[in-house]
Amino acid sequence: MSSIDQIMQHDHERLDALLEACATAVQESRWQDAAGLLEQFRRGIVEGHMFVEETMLFPAFEALEGDGEHSLTALLRKGHQDLRVFFQEMAEAIEAQDAEEFNDFLSTVQTILRQHDAREEAELYPHLADAMPDHGAAAAQRMADGQGEKGHE
Amino acid sequence: MSEFQGCQLPEDLHYDLDYVWARPEEDGTFTIGVTDPAQTMSGRLQKARIKKVGTHLEAGRHVATLESGKWAGGVPVPFAGAVIARNDALLENPHLINIDPYGDAWIARVRPDDPATALERLHTGPDAVAALQAWIKRYDVQCMRCSD
Repeated sequence: MSSIDQIMQHDHERLDALLEACATAVQESRWQDAAGLLEQFRRGIVEGHMFVEETMLFPAFEALEGDGEHSLTALLRKGHQDLRVFFQEMAEAIEAQDAEEFNDFLSTVQTILRQHDAREEAELYPHLADAMPDHGAAAAQRMADGQGEKGHE
Repeated sequence: MSEFQGCQLPEDLHYDLDYVWARPEEDGTFTIGVTDPAQTMSGRLQKARIKKVGTHLEAGRHVATLESGKWAGGVPVPFAGAVIARNDALLENPHLINIDPYGDAWIARVRPDDPATALERLHTGPDAVAALQAWIKRYDVQCMRCSD
């Protein structure tokens, strides 16, 4: 099994590709496909990736640092909170078949994700194996289970 | 005017205790902008998009999105309402927000659907300033103002 930092990094790439596929569907006015792809992306990132980070990875990093909520995890949690609103707004733009509105949100979301992911990959993920007693095995399993469930949808 | 870690925090404004300040106007509308610590966290802003006049927004939806080289984010409205004015100068020069976040760089004016409850999610005075100081510490912000 890959290490937890590799698994999380690969998940960023998988999610980026899903969002890109959604953007292509919007450009081609395939609104139903776009809605499905956005929902697949949203579930993957919110119910999979962010859930594992917020419930398992961030607490382990905070315990390692030893001062409760760390400014890095505070910022990352805030990023998640902001993104959830944008995902809802993107879904509404697709529902309204408003490509201009969708593209405005997409540009902002992709910028947020690029910066957010880079920070996680540079400052958080490299410390996870040391921060977790099982070296991230349970979190890795949770990520694999989540992706397995999606595969059966 | 309170100041904390270089961040200016006017006590007479109302805050969502995150990025946003709001000022009630005499005509029942609210002027909305972003705080000094928020503009510092964002870095030198390079792009601003603001919803068109007439757009209706639910509480928590973004009236504007802002981007710098290192940051991007939204400006949520603290109550449901309609955009009745926007600061078009920011579309041309978003960096104004880094210079005068509480003055010339206001973002939009919004007429709340329900003026009686518009302030419910906002905080003002010393309690708001204390909560914003905690926000500044949480995100480890040291404010700097651009002069041009």
